[in-house]
Amino acid sequence: MQAEQKVVDMILERFPVLDGYVHLQRRQRVIMDPLVRRDFEKVFAFLTTEGGFNTFHLVIGVDDGENLGFIYAISNDDNVILLVKQKAPKAKPVIKSVCSRFPNALWHERELVDLFGAQVEELPPGPSYPLPDGWPEGNYPLRKEWKVEYFDRNTMTYNPPAPEAAQKEDEQ
Amino acid sequence: MSKITIPIGPQHPSLKEPGCFTITLEGEKVVNAVVGVGYNHRGLEKACEARTYIQDLYIIERVCGICSHTHSTAFCQAVEELAGVEIPRRAAYIRVIMAELERMHSHLLWLGVAAHEIGFDTLFMYSWRDREKVLDILAELGGNRVNYGINTLGGVRRDLEPQMADEIRAMLDIVEEQNKYYIQLALSETTLAARLSGIGKLSHEDALRLGAVGPVSRASNVDTDIRVIDKYAAYDEVPVTAITDDHCDVFGRAVVRVLEIMESIKMIRWSLDNLPDGELTAKMPRRIPEGEVFSRTEAPRGEDTHYVRANGTDKPDRVRVRAASEANWHSVKHMLEGDYLADVPIIIAAIDPCYSCTDRSIVLRSAAGERVWDWAALRRYGIEHYKKQGFDASKIKIAERKIIR
Repeated sequence: MQAEQKVVDMILERFPVLDGYVHLQRRQRVIMDPLVRRDFEKVFAFLTTEGGFNTFHLVIGVDDGENLGFIYAISNDDNVILLVKQKAPKAKPVIKSVCSRFPNALWHERELVDLFGAQVEELPPGPSYPLPDGWPEGNYPLRKEWKVEYFDRNTMTYNPPAPEAAQKEDEQ
Repeated sequence: MSKITIPIGPQHPSLKEPGCFTITLEGEKVVNAVVGVGYNHRGLEKACEARTYIQDLYIIERVCGICSHTHSTAFCQAVEELAGVEIPRRAAYIRVIMAELERMHSHLLWLGVAAHEIGFDTLFMYSWRDREKVLDILAELGGNRVNYGINTLGGVRRDLEPQMADEIRAMLDIVEEQNKYYIQLALSETTLAARLSGIGKLSHEDALRLGAVGPVSRASNVDTDIRVIDKYAAYDEVPVTAITDDHCDVFGRAVVRVLEIMESIKMIRWSLDNLPDGELTAKMPRRIPEGEVFSRTEAPRGEDTHYVRANGTDKPDRVRVRAASEANWHSVKHMLEGDYLADVPIIIAAIDPCYSCTDRSIVLRSAAGERVWDWAALRRYGIEHYKKQGFDASKIKIAERKIIR
């Protein structure tokens, strides 16, 4: 059996409820659909201990509209890359840090804080990354609604048009 | 003994790019180190979302001046996979040849930087002189010393003519001879070994735990090379041997890199001898079907990962780049702690952090845009300029170095 099929089977054997959530994309690539925080934490804990996924590559933030998505790229000794995902409401995007298991996740999680406005619980203290000092609070540049043309880099302020003007702009 | 904390950077004479290292010392010994980066954040990922895939290629190629080709390869193969397009084999081979030339020039650059950091400036000058030969070939192939612009979505933009292949072979012969000397130097020169051995230690277990990649991890005997474990381009046919070493220190990282230059030379020769005929590009759709792809390549500094998510339009929904240096910074804190302050520059340099060397030019145009200076003219201008300052370089006699065969 191919290594990637083994991964799919292993996940489904341990979590039968995930049937339909795990997709074999191609050789050495398995992708999972987003899970809510509680389920994600259980699945991630299993995968990174008993499941043998002991290498962490990165975490990717995505803006899915109502939710923010967090895609964790991990791999095992057979070099199968698994993208395991969790989602959190954009209004309250609280996730738990994986730094205790993977210390190299630190900067990636700080990026999620700066660029997506994620609230990462248990994130080790330290300087922010990668936005500069003086960056205006509440501005998360990788969220879809944040438009670079409204940002004034001289004054470091974000100046979106008033809602009526924005509506007019959209109509035009 | 009382502790003292000193900031090194973000502007510092021995570290050419902005990074801030807050070092806590007990006497001369580093007891704590905090690595601060982010001064070069340019918002490339956001910029990619607002542009078409082909426009993004130009942005992606500029993520790094030294390893521009590996970034564009990772991005192209992600988009090609999303589109379900397989590139022609000739294009795949040309991508490999470019990637290995890039590795050669990057490792020679590193060798020079590392030599400079330890005060061995003769080696610095030799290796950078040799690197010029590789850069000349890259410039001829792509029109630029860096940012060669060879890759395009669906293949490559430029072919490799037989005459060019002969020029590459001739260059490889010269650099191979020089590199043999560097290998002998690395393995037998006692001062070099004494200066580099035992510093910046990173055990096999720590390399795995901290997610080190590329030559840094392979020098800690982690047998991970994307060209071997996740084959891409033409690496499924081109023979690749991953170089590992068990010194687990800066010396080991030097050994891995000089041996990797030899492997790159072998791979380029093999690829030139077996270059298939055929087209250079496959037809790509303008709109890329919905989907997501995690693509990776082996950059000179290690694993380079690109995540691309498509939404069915001609612009990506999300592009995420994680260059190799970003992965290796995590190990630096660990490597610094317990070593001496004097070792800090070479330990940092040993992970080969990205230094920008893009503001060099082989062709200089006047403001009117008419006058063009080639390399020889620039050299003459430099000599004349310094003569006027009272320094005549042509009067200096340099003993010819014997090439070790």
